[in-house]
Amino acid sequence: MDCKFVPAVCSYCGTGCGVLFEVIDGKINATLPMKSHPVNHGKLCIKGWNLHEYINSYMRLKTPLIKEDGRFQKATWDEAIGHAAVKFNQIKDQFGPDAIGVLVSAKITNEENYLAQKFTRAVIGTNNVDHCARL
Amino acid sequence: MNLIDQVEQLFIQDKIDIFLGYKALDGHLLPHGFTRDRMEELKALQVSEGRYSLEKIATHLTEKHPDIRIGMIARECNLRTLNLLYTWKQLNPENIETINISCCPSPLKPHSDCSYLEPKQTGAYKKTHGIDFNADPDTFLDDFNNKNRFSRWMYEFNKCIKCYGCRNICPVCFCDECSLEHASLVEPGTLPVDVPIFHLIRATHMAGRCIDCGLCEDACPMDIPLRLLYRQVNAIVSDIFDYRPGNGTDQSPFTIIGEKTVLEPKPMDAQLEGEKEYGL
Repeated sequence: MDCKFVPAVCSYCGTGCGVLFEVIDGKINATLPMKSHPVNHGKLCIKGWNLHEYINSYMRLKTPLIKEDGRFQKATWDEAIGHAAVKFNQIKDQFGPDAIGVLVSAKITNEENYLAQKFTRAVIGTNNVDHCARL
Repeated sequence: MNLIDQVEQLFIQDKIDIFLGYKALDGHLLPHGFTRDRMEELKALQVSEGRYSLEKIATHLTEKHPDIRIGMIARECNLRTLNLLYTWKQLNPENIETINISCCPSPLKPHSDCSYLEPKQTGAYKKTHGIDFNADPDTFLDDFNNKNRFSRWMYEFNKCIKCYGCRNICPVCFCDECSLEHASLVEPGTLPVDVPIFHLIRATHMAGRCIDCGLCEDACPMDIPLRLLYRQVNAIVSDIFDYRPGNGTDQSPFTIIGEKTVLEPKPMDAQLEGEKEYGL
């Protein structure tokens, strides 16, 4: 029997509210707002309150999937990333780098967004990079 | 004897299996379950000014382990909640040990362990258009006429973003099925929420149950003065039944259906069942 509280940042939007996961016997049982968090001061919206529901959902993806013969097949990360790299290279060779675009998200960190645009410009070689907050 | 020694004694005397208190983590005081297996953690046990509903955590633990014996830090609001949860048979008083801490400053103890010492601040616009957090429930009815009160409450209710935070944080919200999730009362998946029905459903359900801890008001992202609303509702209960929720473990006047009901009268479902039965 074990009961602990694990602080985290809500993964739903870019606001970054502090949440607290109530973990009983190793399983997330409930989500609470973090009272002392400078962003949300103990308040949450309906999405944040229900974070534990999707974490425990049986429909949640736990491994990467690769579509083969019209069906998604379980794959390892190495296989998935390798597969994506091969396909991106094919598209780039056949249609040019501007055939690829990258959309980044407010849900990931500033640094990850920076990396994504660097990847798009320096590795893929296109300026087709945009962000969901610019809609 | 200080707090940590007291808890240690509870473990040594084998009175509890888990103790709910607070522990600092990355500069935040967060609730934590201290267990016998990790006694070394006890050194970090603290009292926190920010309040989390330890009773709600206790009910969650009891759901998973029905016979678990729980110790916890308790202020007055926690004790009222515990009394109410005993009344409604959500927790067994034999399985709960409390270590009471003061929540009022005194000459002996200038520091108080509650975030509520400073009254909430109400902004100027809210004062003129909405409702002052610190309005006196006794004089509130006399201070404003009907129309004025209605428009002020509607101003507050209209801000609601339907986060269900007031229900989620509430230590005395433990029904298996919640009326606020009943499709025929509150339409699922739509915003804005139906006002004032949404808030009045909750208010009626707080009658005889709300122990005035104020956690809902703390959790409300739109600063709706829920505490005042539930105080008004409970004033009626106290006038008619002379019952103050959480003041003792007397049976609530709302347990009229008998010993066995654990707040599951569910008239709405009874009606639905009936409709099914008669093919309506």
